[in-house]
Amino acid sequence: MRLTSWFATYGPSYLNGLVGTALTALGASIGAILWGCGLLLVRLAGRRWGSGVVDAYVQVFRNTPVLLPIYLIYFGFPLVGLSWPAVVCGGLALVLQNGAYVSEILRGSFKAIERVQFDAARSLGLSPWNTFRKIVLPQVLVYSLPALGNQVILVLKDTSLLSAIAVTELTMQAKLLTEQTGAAYEAFLVVALLYLALVFGAELAFRTAHRALHWSR
Amino acid sequence: MDGGSLLLLVRAAGVSLLLAVAAVVSGTGLGIALAGLAFSGLAIVRAIYRAWVYVVRGMPVLVLALLVFYALPAMDLQTGPYVAGVLVLAIYVGALFAEVFRGGVLAIPRAQWESAKSLGLPPWAMLSKVVIPLVARYTLAPYVNVCVMTVKASSVLSIIGVWELTFAAREIIERTLAVFTVLGAAGALYFVLCFGIDRTGRWLERRLMARGFVGEPA
Repeated sequence: MRLTSWFATYGPSYLNGLVGTALTALGASIGAILWGCGLLLVRLAGRRWGSGVVDAYVQVFRNTPVLLPIYLIYFGFPLVGLSWPAVVCGGLALVLQNGAYVSEILRGSFKAIERVQFDAARSLGLSPWNTFRKIVLPQVLVYSLPALGNQVILVLKDTSLLSAIAVTELTMQAKLLTEQTGAAYEAFLVVALLYLALVFGAELAFRTAHRALHWSR
Repeated sequence: MDGGSLLLLVRAAGVSLLLAVAAVVSGTGLGIALAGLAFSGLAIVRAIYRAWVYVVRGMPVLVLALLVFYALPAMDLQTGPYVAGVLVLAIYVGALFAEVFRGGVLAIPRAQWESAKSLGLPPWAMLSKVVIPLVARYTLAPYVNVCVMTVKASSVLSIIGVWELTFAAREIIERTLAVFTVLGAAGALYFVLCFGIDRTGRWLERRLMARGFVGEPA
């Protein structure tokens, strides 16, 4: 088949999937980073039980596959009266799982901040919340950029699992095309290349951001 | 959830563990072979290594699994779902292991190479007495990490019809609708497997480091 006619037939399907994957990954990544910041805040609040709860949370999500929370939310929430669209259920599962990893990444970067800065913040009369928001968070996020980039790529790849709950994204589109056309693996080959392109794009974006933001100390 | 279902989940967890073990063993072999390519004298071989690792790591495990599951019959290779499943996981973790081993070899301090050479060690002795013991110690922590990832990645195979823990959990849910208890139990079983592997790794690390370890990584 000529490339143009191929694109006319299948292009829209792949494009649909590409947009679905990109938007889901973007939303879930932003959610995971915010949730990770929230978990870091709980740790830094200095209550022992708070840190204990976050530790347990991180351990549970680190040692279980992400498919379980996906199924738990998608099949379980309707039972308790919450009927959310599949993409929201799947996205929430990705946020909960990856937020745990993000909080660990941020905790690692937090240790890189010199203690003097906290004395300086106190002597300026900054409240603990303002210290977190204006001193801690910007530095922690910039130090974490490369690791966060890796995590975003993991989120991007994990969105393929949402095809198991029929979310419109790349892997789902490829499955549908294989069923429609009877072609064996060709659709997945195309989709694999599209994922590689998305991963490459994400890498490039994070490298550019890192270069632009990383000041020398 | 009745006792029969719980027993089924435990058996399925055993299958998941076996899948992971088979994938780790074959993936380690593949990883060593790939890491060898990374240190080839030929630039083209090193480029092939980088491309392979980038492609395998850049696509989701599910897409890799679908590719392999559809491509095998197209190549007239009839394998059961378990062989194909192990193949998928081995390809995936093989690339991860290769990067781990490559990092380990790069971490060997220059002094170790030079002393091995100045002692006139033949290549095989250099490998078995210097490189392998050092790389094993440097890479134990990331190696165990990848092992845990293998167990978690094996759950993806449920989507393409391999009967293991996640598949069994879905089966039982379709029958009983007990979503929270069944997935909770499955999660607990995964946790036991992964946490167990993680702790065993840390214990091994302490033991290996204890016996007068010299050769801090560069």
